Amino acid sequence: MKKRYITKVLMIAFLATLTTSCDKNLEFEPSQSIDASTALESETDIQSAVIGSYSILGGGALYGTNLNIIPELLGSDNYVRWVGTFQSYRQIANRALLPNNADVTRTWVDAYSAINNVNNVLANLDKVSEPAMQSTFEGEALWVRGIMHFELVRLYALPYDSATPGANTQLGIPISLVAVNAEEPAAVKAKRNTVEEVYSQVLSDLTSAISKLPADNGARADQFTALAFRSRVYLAMGKYAEALADANTIIANSRFQLSATLESVFSNKRTSETLFEVEQNDQNNAGTSNDGLTTFYASLEGIGRADLRVNSPFQALYSSTDARGRDLIYTGVGARPGNLYTGKWKTFGQNIPVIRLAEMYLTRAECNFRLGTAVGGTSISDVNLIRVRSGAAPLATINLNDILSERQLELAFEGSRIHDLRRTKRSTGTFAYNSPAMVFPIPEREMRANSELVQNPGY
Amino acid sequence: MKKILLLFLVLELFLNTSFAQNRTISGKVIAATDGLPLPGVTVTVKGSSIGTQTDAAGLFQLNVPSSSSTLVFKYIGFKILELPVSSGTINATMEEDQRQLSEVVVVGYGTQTRQDVTGSISSIKAKDIANLPLPTFETALQGRAAGVFINSGSGKLGQAINIRIRGISSVSASNQPLFVIDGQPVISQSLGSATEPDNPLSSIAPEDIQSIDVLKDASAAAIYGSRAANGVILVTTKSGTQGKSSVSVGYYTGFSKPTRKQEFLNAAQYKELFGEAATNMGYDPAEEFEAESGTTDWNENYDTNWADQAFQDGAISQYNVSLNGGDSKTRFLLSGGYSDQKGIIAGNKLNRANGRINLDHSIASNLKVGLNLSLNKTMNYRVPSDNAFTNPLQLNAIPSIHPLTDPTSGLLNRGTLYYNNLIDLVEASNQSKQFRSLSNAFLDWNIAPSLKFRSEFGFDIVQLEEEQFNGRETLDGAPTGVAFNNQVRASSYNTNNVLSYVKRINRHSIELLGGFSYQESRSFETSSTGQAFPSDKFTKIASAAIISGGNSSETGFSFLSYFARANYKFNDRYLLGASVRMDGSSRFGSDNQYGTFPAVSAGWIVSQENFLSDSKVVSFLKLRASYGTTGNAEIGNFASRTLYGASPYADQSGIVFSQLGRPDLRWEKTDQLDLGVDFALLNNRISVELDYFDKQTSDLLLNLPLPATNGFTVITKNLGSLENKGFEASLSTQNLVGEFKWSTNFNISTYKNKVTNLNGSTIDGGSRQLGRISEGEPYGYFYAPKYAGVNSANGNAQYYEEDGSIVDQDDFSGYSQKVGDPNPEFIGGLGNRFSYKSFDLDVQTQFVSGNDLYNIAGFFQSVNGDYFDNQTVDQLTRWRNPGDVTRVPQARLYEGNGALKSSRWVQDGSYLRVKHVVLGYNLPKSFVSRAKMQNARIYLAAQNLFTFTNYTGYDPEVNATYTGNVNLGHDFYTPPQARTITFGINMGF
Repeated sequence: MKKRYITKVLMIAFLATLTTSCDKNLEFEPSQSIDASTALESETDIQSAVIGSYSILGGGALYGTNLNIIPELLGSDNYVRWVGTFQSYRQIANRALLPNNADVTRTWVDAYSAINNVNNVLANLDKVSEPAMQSTFEGEALWVRGIMHFELVRLYALPYDSATPGANTQLGIPISLVAVNAEEPAAVKAKRNTVEEVYSQVLSDLTSAISKLPADNGARADQFTALAFRSRVYLAMGKYAEALADANTIIANSRFQLSATLESVFSNKRTSETLFEVEQNDQNNAGTSNDGLTTFYASLEGIGRADLRVNSPFQALYSSTDARGRDLIYTGVGARPGNLYTGKWKTFGQNIPVIRLAEMYLTRAECNFRLGTAVGGTSISDVNLIRVRSGAAPLATINLNDILSERQLELAFEGSRIHDLRRTKRSTGTFAYNSPAMVFPIPEREMRANSELVQNPGY
Repeated sequence: MKKILLLFLVLELFLNTSFAQNRTISGKVIAATDGLPLPGVTVTVKGSSIGTQTDAAGLFQLNVPSSSSTLVFKYIGFKILELPVSSGTINATMEEDQRQLSEVVVVGYGTQTRQDVTGSISSIKAKDIANLPLPTFETALQGRAAGVFINSGSGKLGQAINIRIRGISSVSASNQPLFVIDGQPVISQSLGSATEPDNPLSSIAPEDIQSIDVLKDASAAAIYGSRAANGVILVTTKSGTQGKSSVSVGYYTGFSKPTRKQEFLNAAQYKELFGEAATNMGYDPAEEFEAESGTTDWNENYDTNWADQAFQDGAISQYNVSLNGGDSKTRFLLSGGYSDQKGIIAGNKLNRANGRINLDHSIASNLKVGLNLSLNKTMNYRVPSDNAFTNPLQLNAIPSIHPLTDPTSGLLNRGTLYYNNLIDLVEASNQSKQFRSLSNAFLDWNIAPSLKFRSEFGFDIVQLEEEQFNGRETLDGAPTGVAFNNQVRASSYNTNNVLSYVKRINRHSIELLGGFSYQESRSFETSSTGQAFPSDKFTKIASAAIISGGNSSETGFSFLSYFARANYKFNDRYLLGASVRMDGSSRFGSDNQYGTFPAVSAGWIVSQENFLSDSKVVSFLKLRASYGTTGNAEIGNFASRTLYGASPYADQSGIVFSQLGRPDLRWEKTDQLDLGVDFALLNNRISVELDYFDKQTSDLLLNLPLPATNGFTVITKNLGSLENKGFEASLSTQNLVGEFKWSTNFNISTYKNKVTNLNGSTIDGGSRQLGRISEGEPYGYFYAPKYAGVNSANGNAQYYEEDGSIVDQDDFSGYSQKVGDPNPEFIGGLGNRFSYKSFDLDVQTQFVSGNDLYNIAGFFQSVNGDYFDNQTVDQLTRWRNPGDVTRVPQARLYEGNGALKSSRWVQDGSYLRVKHVVLGYNLPKSFVSRAKMQNARIYLAAQNLFTFTNYTGYDPEVNATYTGNVNLGHDFYTPPQARTITFGINMGF
């Protein structure tokens, strides 16, 4: 009898052991993701987070599609026509935007997502022990944060008025500087800062970035990338002397040089001309069927939706010898054949030049002209340098209009159209440069989630 | 938990009594109806674990302790018989049980007799579904189990089906019940890459199933804790019985056709409607047709019924054989089968091979081990998603004026307005091959007469291989061919360890049960995509020039659970039950890793009371009530975590935030009240079960929107709530019990679903769909502009404004309102079974009433010639002249007249279906025994024989899966069900 009880006791002990040994099995870790608490622990982790931010920049919501296409469509009059089926882009082209527009929403969301990713990098810089590396990561993070705020404020707020410097009190966008990785800070309802505040934050971030970044950082942003963007920001603010100084520094002191042809800047990767380009390849790119620049712009055999058609009067602005009009605008042979399309975006895996040296020459030319100076070179020599490269005849004389239209010809389909119109207070079609219809609404989802936000006029 | 186990031990130490002397009792068991011996009857000594089974001659022998005075005889389908132990021989005559009150009901981790059940459980037995050509075993529940709503979704073979028990309890987690097969929660979630996934349960052979028990209320289901909120379906497979080995062989074969088809315009009608549509807008129809289709077919004389091309003649054949037998030590069941189905949709095929060994062995009189082992292979030649141009049903959009084949080349016509997906049948393939082994081993140890320990250990391994190839001429394979291969392995192991204690002391019956279980499930997936093949003769990715995609991923979860149950019965009439389960899961946030799910129930068998015991009218009456809590743990494996994921940047990969989580995220919680009455009248000829339920679900997982300016757009929280309330009634009657037998089963049930809290938000089903979830409304109600017909003065489509006024489309504000509800008002089934001598007839019908359906494809196919898609014939009644009164607006090419998403394509989806008809004939004994058989039966069976409905689409039992879980009752080129006629034979040796 005793033996039977012993058996039972043993059995229960066995059960109890089974029970306790199971507890640890409730710890299951995901395989395709890692917990945020262990994600940023080492130098490698921080570097991965920095690269991750570039991957967001390269997505369709940002430089992969929208930060190029949106400025083109907003200033599309006598230039380019949206013929695609995507309602969101049609609304942008018609300047009849709704707050639930999918592209208005995703550009906002992704830009802030990139900002928070770099804010988390900044908050974890102490994990990087090597000082040079720490400085580079910090510079890249500040650069991303700066340019994202800049891109957002240009789209979602009334333009910066250079006539009232320091007093641009119109509503901008919320400035985001806090690293968020938990619900409580993620639920904070931020208010919109003024345009002036946003611009000074952008300048502050880019200025710090310039001091932190190395002169050469491979395919990622370096000191000159940040300088080039700061030059763009100054230009947008009408601070021509500062814009000129930055542009001139790059032209004079950097390794960057104009490529032999403009076409080669787009058909090759990492050319000597691009100050920053979004890296893509055949596998990782902004999209091949419903997103991506080539998807929307191209009309080639099996490539592209041919949704952005170039107006022939715009092509006529190039002289017949100008490769930019003769070669970089072609007659489509794929979807919607027979119409004109830009040849800058022809393959899905190509890199996307976002800012390049030619723009710096044109900025230097414009600023020198406006300021009556010839820092680094005369306006006419800078403009002619760009023209002659593409086979256009050099100009004999020059005025501001020549410089501005040269800018349109050179930077066509690269996402600068509306920004250049706005800063120079030129209208497009029937829309004044500061028409509220051309200012994006704050996305509907954002208005619902954040009661502190004030919607833009007209929505 | 340990305390509970200890309690058992202590109880046992006190109550255990040692055995004195034993005597040997032997006897024979026969059936009362025909006096034939009954093999396989369980004979046990009452109040102990001592027992045996009768052999093939109905004989048994048993050692009975002198202290015991009663033997219990149990056999499925017969009334439990208790006989006093008198002398050395006891002969028992068992009566067939008509009312099933004494049937054994499988409950979580044990069984109960129907009479003692205080919860709400629907049961289906093997004999109810024998001879039915069931596509998968779950469909056996359709129309037979009250409160269980089954929608097969479409007529595609092997596709996942929707099962909803007592309404819809979740918005973002799963609404499917928990499937437990032989004690083991099995992999029932969809695997693989298809947007319309396969049904992993289709690999389980219906012939192997002994019973299906559906646990509906909290007291029955709460023992499965955090996974029971949608109900639990317990499946028990057949096991071997002691006695002479018997072999049974079954075969059936048949053919199938679509239940319903839809009629589209023929060439003359097409030209009439579109000629008018173009002319009305000032276009030349031939020119426009040429511009859109690239053909001059408008001026030719082709007439093709494209819609019919979507179908093929279906066929089905099934073979199965099983061997059953054993002795007092070892019992076994061996079964194997093969089924070959050709679906009604072009290109659709499914075949399944299955094998099973169920074995148990008594090591000693108190120790038994067993093994259930099954292996299946299912091969599915899939039909593409409803929303693919390659879906054969989308052929109905092709204008009838296009020829089927190219008149010059004789090949399939490639010059059609939409892709002629018949090309896919020739030049593409889409197969999914699934291997599944579902096996478990168990040990039963009768530690003492009242104390039993059972340990189970099970494995469920599913290997799914998807292989697709699209040749260069196909839509998806152009220009050089595309191949996709995906390998999924899902595995789950589970162990249950249960100690149970059963004791009757005078008028007190006590059943205690306690145990724990642990389950771990993982799945791995690896896929690759290749492009650019030398020719269509090469189809494997090895021959591709470009490997354009590759992926490997893994996920998993675990559950650790402790549970206990106590049932107490006093004087055979007062029943009390309580259960509790504590579930821990890797899915729950670290702050809420364990949840507790209690339930209580009570019952009163009034008919046992003196005042009713002699009633001639009321033969049984039981009142029961239960209340308890269950959970829904299908919340995603890692929803509680804040995560970083990889994000590629050209040749490098970085990391970005992928999710913001909360460490307190937990299961969704359902509190359910159930009130029930069971009664039987007139000597059990009429028996009725009535239930009322009230399910209140809270802590629904919802995505709370966050300001994106902080980097995140949503966080998943336990926020919302909803409720389901309803009635269930089932009635079974023995109308005639003589030589001509007639019995009827009828059930009807309702549920009223209401979303009570969504944190102020609404969830919309999409731009083309009508489904919407919002507070105060039923789940998935239809929300859209309300169509008001046609302005008879000008042929314009009209809609209702908010104030009820009717305006033309051009003046319409777009005001949306509730225009329908996909939830049925009631569902049910009616079954009649007749038998006369050797003939029997079983007719099962099933009905769904009061639900609305929305045909999304109406926007393309019933839109008065808005674009060149072929139109349904009802569009011919379009408005033509001022004064015309019709619901179809004037035909206007490209104008979108009446093309707004609206109630225009909402219809009543009620239907009544003759689900199964089986006419059987048992061959005469004389013939059978001459052929050395035990029995032989031939039968003719029909599935979905008739469907009565006002729905004008293909089939009212529809659910376009691709539209997502918000959109119920949506139809989008969804293939109809099959009507299948089979002839079969079963033989026993």
